[in-house]
Order: sequence, then C-alpha cells, then structure tokens
Amino acid sequence: MFRHNFKYDILTTLRVKEVIIWLIIYPIALGTFFKVAFGNIYDNDIKFTAVKTAVVINSEQNGKAFRQVAEAIGQDDDAAFSFVYTDKDDALKQLKDEDVRGIIFVDDKLSLTVASNSLKSTMLEKFVEKYNLNAKIITDTAKIDPAKIQTVTQALTEEISTVRSQALSKGNTNMYDQYFYNLLAMVAMFGSLAGLHVATHNQGNLSPLGARKCISPTPKIKTILSNLCATFAVQAMCMAIAVTFIITVLRVDMGNRIPLVYLTAILAGFVGSSLGFVIGSIGRFNESTKNALCTASSLLLCFCSGLMDASIKQKIAESSFAWFNKVNPAAVMCESFFSLNIYEDYTRYIQCVVTMIITVVVFITLGLLMTRRRKYASL
Amino acid sequence: MANTVVKIENLVKRYKELIAVDHFDLEIKQGEVFGLLGPNGSGKTTTINCLLSLLDFDKGEIEIFGEKMTPTNYALKKRIGVISQNVAVYDELTVYENIDYFCGLYITDKATRKQYVDEAIKFVGLEEFTKFRPKKLSGGLLRRLNIACGIAHKPELIILDEPTVAVDPQSRNRILEGILELNAQGATIIYTSHYMEEVEQICSRIAIMDKGKNIALGTKAELKKMIKNTETVSIETAQPEDSVIQQLRELPHVYEVSYNDGKLYVYCSGGKHNLIRILGVLQEKDIHFGRVYSELPTLNDVFLEITGKQLRDSE
Repeated sequence: MFRHNFKYDILTTLRVKEVIIWLIIYPIALGTFFKVAFGNIYDNDIKFTAVKTAVVINSEQNGKAFRQVAEAIGQDDDAAFSFVYTDKDDALKQLKDEDVRGIIFVDDKLSLTVASNSLKSTMLEKFVEKYNLNAKIITDTAKIDPAKIQTVTQALTEEISTVRSQALSKGNTNMYDQYFYNLLAMVAMFGSLAGLHVATHNQGNLSPLGARKCISPTPKIKTILSNLCATFAVQAMCMAIAVTFIITVLRVDMGNRIPLVYLTAILAGFVGSSLGFVIGSIGRFNESTKNALCTASSLLLCFCSGLMDASIKQKIAESSFAWFNKVNPAAVMCESFFSLNIYEDYTRYIQCVVTMIITVVVFITLGLLMTRRRKYASL
Repeated sequence: MANTVVKIENLVKRYKELIAVDHFDLEIKQGEVFGLLGPNGSGKTTTINCLLSLLDFDKGEIEIFGEKMTPTNYALKKRIGVISQNVAVYDELTVYENIDYFCGLYITDKATRKQYVDEAIKFVGLEEFTKFRPKKLSGGLLRRLNIACGIAHKPELIILDEPTVAVDPQSRNRILEGILELNAQGATIIYTSHYMEEVEQICSRIAIMDKGKNIALGTKAELKKMIKNTETVSIETAQPEDSVIQQLRELPHVYEVSYNDGKLYVYCSGGKHNLIRILGVLQEKDIHFGRVYSELPTLNDVFLEITGKQLRDSE
C-alpha cells in the first residue's frame, strides 16, 4: 500500500508545473543571473592577490640578502608579494605592459619604480621603506654592538612574518557566495508549495480529492506519510540538482565539505516542505489562498535572510528582532551553508542543523495534529 | 426478504442555527436503486456525507451492512464506492493512473487491481483515452473517469451524488445506463439528484427531501398515489373569461384551473375522459385553442403538492 501511494505521489509531485518551475528552472536561471552579475566582481575588485613585482638586482651582496627576505615573506598563495627576478629592460617592459605593479632595484638600498598610485603600489612603497629601515638597523647594530645582532635579526624576522596575509579560516570569504546560499534557501522554501499539497489533498474539508481519500479504507496517516515521503524525495532531488548546478556549472566555491553541503541542502528542503505542510493544515482557506500564503511567507522569510538585499540580515541582527533570524528557516539554512564553508569548527554548523531538524519535527508534528481529524464539522 | 444495506435513524445535522438534516430516517434494501430527490440545499449531500462518516452529526444512528459506520471502520469502507458531484481526480495523472491509484486504496493485490482497472475503463468506455490527462477530456468523459475511480474496486454499495451535473445528454444517458448495469451486477445504488426525470428513469424507490426532512418515501407509483393529481391538461389559448374558468372548475374530477404564460392548465383527480369534457366546454364557448397536452403526474407534481413549490423553483 505504501509503495503504491508513494509511487503515485512521486509522479503527481513531479508533474506539478510549479515544482518544475520553482524548484528546478528558477534556481538555474537565478543562479546563472547571480553568476553573471557578481561572478567577476569579487575576483577582479575585491579578492586580494599578491602584488606582482619585478626585481632588478644590481648588487650581488644586497641581492642575496633580498632573496632571503623574499623567501621569508613567502611565495605561496597567501603571500603579499610575488617577485620576478629580471633585468632592467625587461622589468620596464613588464611595467609598461602592466604585467607587474612596480620594479624594485636592489643597489646599496632598495629603490622603487611604480606606474601609478594605487593600494598595491602603496603596499610596495611601504615594503621598500620598511626594508631599507630594517637594513639600516642591522647595519648600524653590526657596527655599534655586534653582540646584539642576533637578537635584532630575530625580532625583525618575526616582524616579517606579519607581512603574510592572515586568513580567519580556510574557507572561501567571497561575500557574493551569500547570494548562492540564499538561492539554495529559497529553493528549499519554495518546496513549501509541494508540502502544501500534502495537506490539502488529504483533508476531506479542503478538496474533493481529500474527501475521496478520507472515505477510502486506507488510514489517513498512511496516505499522509507516504505523500510526505514522496514530497521529501522530490524536494531532495531538486535541492541536489540546484547544488550540483551551482558547484559544477556555475563553479561557485562551496568549500571542500561538499557531501555535507548536499546533506544540508536536502535537510533544508525538508524544512521547506514541512513548512508548506503546516501552512496547508491550518484553517479552512481554499487552496489558492493557501498557495498565496505559502509563497508570501517563503518570500518574506527569504527577504529577511538577505536574498534581495544582503544588508537586511545585518539590520535585523542589530535590531530588537535579532532573535527572528535565529528561527527563520531561510536564515538558518544560509547560516549553515556559510558556517560549513567558512569555519573549520563545526559548532555553528551543528547549531544550524539541530535548529533545522527541530523545525522539521515541530512542523510535521503540528501538521499531523491538525490533519489527524477524520470527521469534519462542515465540508 | 432482502437485507438492509443502509439504515439511518433520526439523523440531525446542524450548521449553527441552520438545520441541514432534520430527524431524517431511511432504510435501503440490498439490490435497490434508491433515489434521493430534492432541490439544491435540501440536505441530500449532507446526508450522504454523514452516512460516509465524513461529517460530524448532532444526533442519530447510521448503520451500513448492519455495522455502525465510523471513520475507522475500514472493512466497511472497502465495500462502498462513492462518486461525488465534484470531480475528484489528479490532473497530473493519466486516466489509467488515476483509476489505478484510487483502486489501489482498496485493492492491494496488483494482478487483481489491474484486472479491475481494465474492467472499469471498459465499463465507462474510456479505452481510447487511457493515456489522456483529465484536462484533455471533455466534461462528459471527465464525469465517466470520476465514476470509474469510484467503482473500480467493485463495491457492493455505490453512492452517486449528482453525478450528471453539467453533463451533455448523450453522456448522461450513458451514465444512467451504466448505473442500471452496476445494479444488475449486484450493487446497491444510492442516487442523489435534483433532476426528477433521472430519478424517475432509474430508481426503484425514492425519498423526496426538502429542508433536511424526508417528506415522501416510496416507489414512483406510491409517491404519485400520495397526491390528488392524476392528470394535468394544458391548452394553448388566449386568456379565457372568468365564467369559462368557473365552468371548467365545475366539471367532474377537476379540482383546479389556472392560466399562465398563454396556457390554460386544468388539474384533474381521477376519472376518465377528462380531456373530452374540457375541450367540449371550450368549443361550446367558441374559444379557439392551439396545441393540447395531457400529462400524467410527475415527481415534480408530488413535490409541488407537498411543499407548495416546484422542484426547480427551489434551486
């Protein structure tokens, strides 16, 4: 019996146009729009990259010292500067072609040539100034008090390490990824439309279909549970499609815990479906009114989680309604994706997951309590 | 004597101040095609919904096949098929899938179900439309699908609640023939309608409802015997003088004469050759007339005489 119901519930859910539009086509379209709109802003204008600098060594002795410092600063992804050793002509050509931001000439002292004033050229200026100052301190210490040379060198080496960029986490800090988290939350919330049908199609006082099921010999709880399972399965599939599209086609960096991203998305989908189920179970409004109510609540919750304007989330956090986004399913979903991507530690992520599980349990219990009635006062 | 299939005793259903079903009693025997006739709002559907345990009711007892009907009496529900006045099918499923789905709520064995579904499709004549979605079906075909979904599991008691609303005459006849066929196969039928012609055509016993009350119960002949009228003569003519109407009233067996919309109506109770006597009066007074009709009483006359209003006026 369960299999029979489940099979047809899957078929009916998959054939509902709204499900295809809102849960599959819409996220693909909006995700593509987000990628086109925000995709390069971060890489071009916000994401920090090492300042590419040509180095022309005119003094072999000082050049050796410079190479040591350059190595200490680092040449990996986190490095603030990327040095290219070359001759003067090639360096000038690279500067002209904007392949490098500046040229450092290593003579007795360092000297710098930059093409234009910018944040990166200012960084180079500061670096050269600091280098020359430290070189003078070491030279002067060697002349005045050679015994302290080691202490001074060590202190200056520790200072060098601060030149490396310091990450708060291992995650991706692209602030525009927030829109993709919100998009996934929105797909999950639109799953409420499928959840709504579970309630309306099983209540004798809400639809002729509900009445027909109520007078059948199949216990109501069986039809509702198989219906819910089918809705969850379809919703899980839609969430998986959305995540796969965002990661593989749009190439949005969702971090390196991809299986957990999928699981979180699927759980978020369950939250959306169960929200629809509870809305569908409340009161005796007709199906179109409940549809409108469902769509409006989904959009409102997504709005508060920052889908339309990222600053809204901040404004709510600073207001006396800060608690709202702690229980707002859409905000909790976004927060879970964010925590998963940004923090090494799982504490915040687990909090979000627990909140979502509690939400699903509460919504389904409430829905079942409200739809459990087998006789109605009026039809 | 046939077994009692449905027994309703003293059923009362109130919607706040409104009494939708008012101390309603009914007993339906096995093998009957029982008609529940009444205008819209008379309480027919409410009675059916109480019978099916879909609606709470304030007072009364309901038994089906000798058992008390409750929402959890699943064994009893298996023996009942319902065709509601609102089409209750999934728009997303095909004709075959819809019938299979609803049949599956009653029949778990796959092979039996397949056989039943095929038979139901054949019964309602939807063989050519099995892969169609409901939205592609005409109103009549949709009603037939609705019927197939209600009867595929071969119920012993079939309740049809106004199944021919908004159906073309051809489909209506097919539906009515189908109902008689189901009855011939052994099913007991409860048929609710406000179309007296349909009820007269197929029902062996009829209850007439008005304002939630059972105002008359019996076979067609028994119901018609309850009223004074045995013949109504209508004559197309110009408005006759009062003296002519008075003379007609004084004829034997005539108990009422009226003139409406270009027609003179003469109501007779018993007797023979009423028409000849009436036309004789008109000829004697040199009154020209057009077409003349002589009609036997209908259920509408029964309803009219008992309630003082036409069945269709009450809609």
